[in-house]
Amino acid sequence: MNEHIRYARNRREFLTNCFCGFGAMGFGSLLAAEATRNPLAAKAPHFPAHAKAMIFLFQAGGPSHLETFDPKPLLNQLHGQKRPETFGKVEYQNVNANSRILGTKRTFARYGKSGLEVSDLLPHQAQIADDLCVIRSMYGDMVVHSAAQYQLMSGRIIPGFPSMGSWVTYGLGTVSDSLPAYVVMPDPNGTPEAGQPMYTNGFLPAVYQPAMFRAGKRPVLNMELPKGITMDRRRKTIDLIRQLNEANLLGEDAEFSARMSAYDTAFKMQTQAPEVFDLSKEPQETLDMYGVGKADTDDYGRRCLLARRLVEKGVRFVCVVAGGGGAETEWDAHSDIEKNHLRMARLTDQPTAALVKDLKRRGLLDETIVLWGGEFGRSPESEKGNGRDHHNTGFTMWVAGGGFKGGVAYGATDDIGLKSTVNPVHFRDLHATLINQLGLQQDALSYLHQGRRERLTEVHGTVLKELLV
Amino acid sequence: MLHRLLRNVFTFGLATAAFGAPEVNDVAPLGAYTAAERRHWAFQPRKDVPPPAFTDAAAKAWIRTPIDAFILAGLRKAELTPAPEADRATLIRRLTYDLHGLPPTPEEIGAFLTDKAPRAYERLVDRLLESPRYGEQWARHWLDVVRFAESDGYEYDTHRPDAYRFRDYVIASLNEDKPYDVFLKEQLAGDEIDPKNDGLLVASGFNRLGPLRKNAGNQEVASSRTEVLTEMANIVGAAMLGMTMGCARCHDHKFDPIRQSDYYRLQGFFAQTQANDVIVATAEEQAKYKAAMEPLEAEMRKLRFSMRRASEEEKGKILTRLEEIDGQVPPPLTAMYAVKNDPKEMTQIHMLQRGDYRNKGPRVGMRAPGVLLPDGTAEMPLDTAKPRLRLAEWITEPSNPLTARVMVNRIWGYHFGRAMVSTPNDFGKMGTRPANPELLDWLANEFVKSGWKMKPLHRTILLSSAYRQASQSPNEKAYAVKDSENKLLWRANRRRLEAEEIRDTMLAVSGRLNAKAGGPSVMAPIDAELVKDLKRPQYWSPTRDRSEHDRRTIYMIYKRNLILPFMQVFDSPDTLLSCARREQSTHAPQALELLNGTVSNDLAASFAKRLTGAPRERVDSAWKLATGRLPNERERALSMQYLDDPDPAAWTEFALSLFNSNAFLYVN
Repeated sequence: MNEHIRYARNRREFLTNCFCGFGAMGFGSLLAAEATRNPLAAKAPHFPAHAKAMIFLFQAGGPSHLETFDPKPLLNQLHGQKRPETFGKVEYQNVNANSRILGTKRTFARYGKSGLEVSDLLPHQAQIADDLCVIRSMYGDMVVHSAAQYQLMSGRIIPGFPSMGSWVTYGLGTVSDSLPAYVVMPDPNGTPEAGQPMYTNGFLPAVYQPAMFRAGKRPVLNMELPKGITMDRRRKTIDLIRQLNEANLLGEDAEFSARMSAYDTAFKMQTQAPEVFDLSKEPQETLDMYGVGKADTDDYGRRCLLARRLVEKGVRFVCVVAGGGGAETEWDAHSDIEKNHLRMARLTDQPTAALVKDLKRRGLLDETIVLWGGEFGRSPESEKGNGRDHHNTGFTMWVAGGGFKGGVAYGATDDIGLKSTVNPVHFRDLHATLINQLGLQQDALSYLHQGRRERLTEVHGTVLKELLV
Repeated sequence: MLHRLLRNVFTFGLATAAFGAPEVNDVAPLGAYTAAERRHWAFQPRKDVPPPAFTDAAAKAWIRTPIDAFILAGLRKAELTPAPEADRATLIRRLTYDLHGLPPTPEEIGAFLTDKAPRAYERLVDRLLESPRYGEQWARHWLDVVRFAESDGYEYDTHRPDAYRFRDYVIASLNEDKPYDVFLKEQLAGDEIDPKNDGLLVASGFNRLGPLRKNAGNQEVASSRTEVLTEMANIVGAAMLGMTMGCARCHDHKFDPIRQSDYYRLQGFFAQTQANDVIVATAEEQAKYKAAMEPLEAEMRKLRFSMRRASEEEKGKILTRLEEIDGQVPPPLTAMYAVKNDPKEMTQIHMLQRGDYRNKGPRVGMRAPGVLLPDGTAEMPLDTAKPRLRLAEWITEPSNPLTARVMVNRIWGYHFGRAMVSTPNDFGKMGTRPANPELLDWLANEFVKSGWKMKPLHRTILLSSAYRQASQSPNEKAYAVKDSENKLLWRANRRRLEAEEIRDTMLAVSGRLNAKAGGPSVMAPIDAELVKDLKRPQYWSPTRDRSEHDRRTIYMIYKRNLILPFMQVFDSPDTLLSCARREQSTHAPQALELLNGTVSNDLAASFAKRLTGAPRERVDSAWKLATGRLPNERERALSMQYLDDPDPAAWTEFALSLFNSNAFLYVN
């Protein structure tokens, strides 16, 4: 198999590098020709894929598994006591030997045909229980935000490595010629701890970096024309650039024609992207479903709805971030978990469920993976009396669609939710499984960087076949 | 299943139970290396191969420097002929970008085109090498390799307001043509060479350039120390030796003969190294800082003390208060970021299972990688005096097979757009083999013989016929089949300008470039949305003096968690890992940035205003400024036609079109 060498680059290599090495097998010549013009052109997966796109609902700060999807009645019995030693040791940021178990005020019930248990914190997600593949046995290696977020996003506990979204677009390209392949919609309150580097392309070429759809006056940077410039004027200017480049061209030249096609794409983005942002043509019923127009849910609802619209138009990977800008505006409930989680749930629960329902009724859920979760869960013991500390040794995430089984609770933590004890799932196992559903094999999706064939999974992850239909 | 079980055991720090007590007090074996492992080309001593001799007239006419003899031999073997020499306008533009990262002015071009003296080209090369702009351009390359940035990265991404001193040290070192061996010694061990010398202290800040994790409430002191040691050791491997030492942190290197013990022995040289902020603030500033800090520190001490006996609830309040105090701390005193040895704080270096600081294996001392030493070479104890100087001396031994090759290869790569070993940070098995190993050795030998001086090396390369070739061969199609990557150099490689060069050129041609050199980095105003990408948005405070915003890009701040979109779309490195070679990608966001971005539009407006005279004069002058040449007839006609428009925006848009054109963005 051809290997992609990062440093080797000149204008001839430009052509071959557009293929990113591994894809050379089974390529149609048409795809190949397209790839020389557009490095983001759709690429054949390594094997037939179940899903085409992925939406990651990133719950920054770390939502509690104990208050959401992992009921632990023993917690309330042990409330106020020290953790029994039999559960073993765990390293924490703030919880220590003097800390006491904190019971939960949430109550759990069974929902749907599957009878999946969901707490009353998330009444809307409870309604989609039969679509959820809940993994109760997640674990990561780091107990601090930034490092844990890097691991969740890129498989590595340090920054500088490509994110899931970059890997997926590197592997698959995009079918949209007027929208970016990989979009991140950050929380308007600010950034989570790991900041920009957790979303970016690391050492992969810049073409795999995310487009940030920010809140504020300019949702997408450079998408709107400068002041005083009309679309007509701009069309003329782009024509001039094209003509000047042609006047200077010495025969066929792949890189130059790629540049021209980049300008075409840019122009298309500029004219068509505003359409995607314009939610006014969505039926009122849909807007209501996402909670658009309601104070609490308007922001997250819009972003979730936008995620669906993007995926519908061929965007490959969308990350919608819930949380940022500090502990109180994230799921980072060091103090008063009730207050923090009720607020975060109020903002996100309805739009989250709406997204899954909406994808499903449009027949898109099967080909779209929806992933929900944060960089870790929260400690069984209390911090500051009524809060919970970071907790990486056992927590919950869920997946819906994309060929994942619905109505399933996979794996388990011990009786107080301290450690994953049954079928533990590391981030790398989750990553391997997610890209598997996108038709990508974890070892083939690699990039040679400084002597190592780097992969999203770093060392081999296990594809969790039991989770898949 | 067993696999998974073991993995979980690891994850939860129970390795002790699974493996029995780790032999933490054993000393790791010194390791033995097979003949086959030692045979790898890059570990072999440099050969002394004389340049091939030619007798025919064509060869004699083409060969200007020994480089050409090596190149020609390679070309002839493959039945290729070199491309003709590029014209003078192309050459001066190529040279000026290559050495300064800026375009030549129309006056400089005019002077060179009309200079009939036989040594006009040589004089041009010398002039460019002597200009302080040279250091500004080539410092950028080194700063990429050593992953220089002006913030910590990770969640707080704390500013390093004095990091610019290191940037200025690199620029000055290159401008004065400091020998490369001295350059490396100063960076690795400046403080050990002379702790009283400010310049050397700043240079030693090299050891602190990596990202640094400072998490709130992070109690994992040992974990943080491991990360710091990892950063210090890995960069020596990548930047100075072209060895991917970092791969051996968790296990023996999979491809190269680097044992895990080699990796930790390299860390051993840094066991005593600690950060050392040498305050340079005035006595008055220090007094003011002290006055502001004393009450805060006193309160913090009290709070930390009471923390020990605090209840859960009290603890919460204390932590909140501590965070408040943290926000009130005044900006740090101006300082030099140096390192020092602190034998009392020395870290015992152990081999770590899977690189995890909790899983200590046998102890190690300090030693260079074993494959480059005779078998059985003893390690030195961790408390050896001046440990980093010992390492630097070993690295810069003229007989070290890697150091000179690695640097010569980098320099070659920046000049030709493709290094001979096209993986400049990896001279190991997974790296590429040099296209022309004899030439690489010849250059490395010359480099060492000349006292590790870089300017003579540049000169040798730039004066060659190989460098002066046109970027288009008359045999383009046929040769592209034979040697598609142009490894043998049958023509020059065209290249796109790098992010800094694009911005600097727009500044230069619009007449706005502020050429001021050195000093604290500048923060320009940016979109409010972007500032939100920072965990601490208050860190972004634009420099008040607006003329500062128009300085060369190397003087603009480079924050790890907020790399400006302009830089990012044009393949600037993320500064988290060493960047040996920038990508040159082509994608739509670049077009959007250059068409709609504030940087290009602002400068296009200034550029348009700068043009005077009749439309045709203005068009010609715009082309000359932006591309170094007059427009051809078609280009002129297209330009005039576009400008035949009453729209007041037309001239600015025309200027913007030039910024977006290939003639502007590419160097032939």
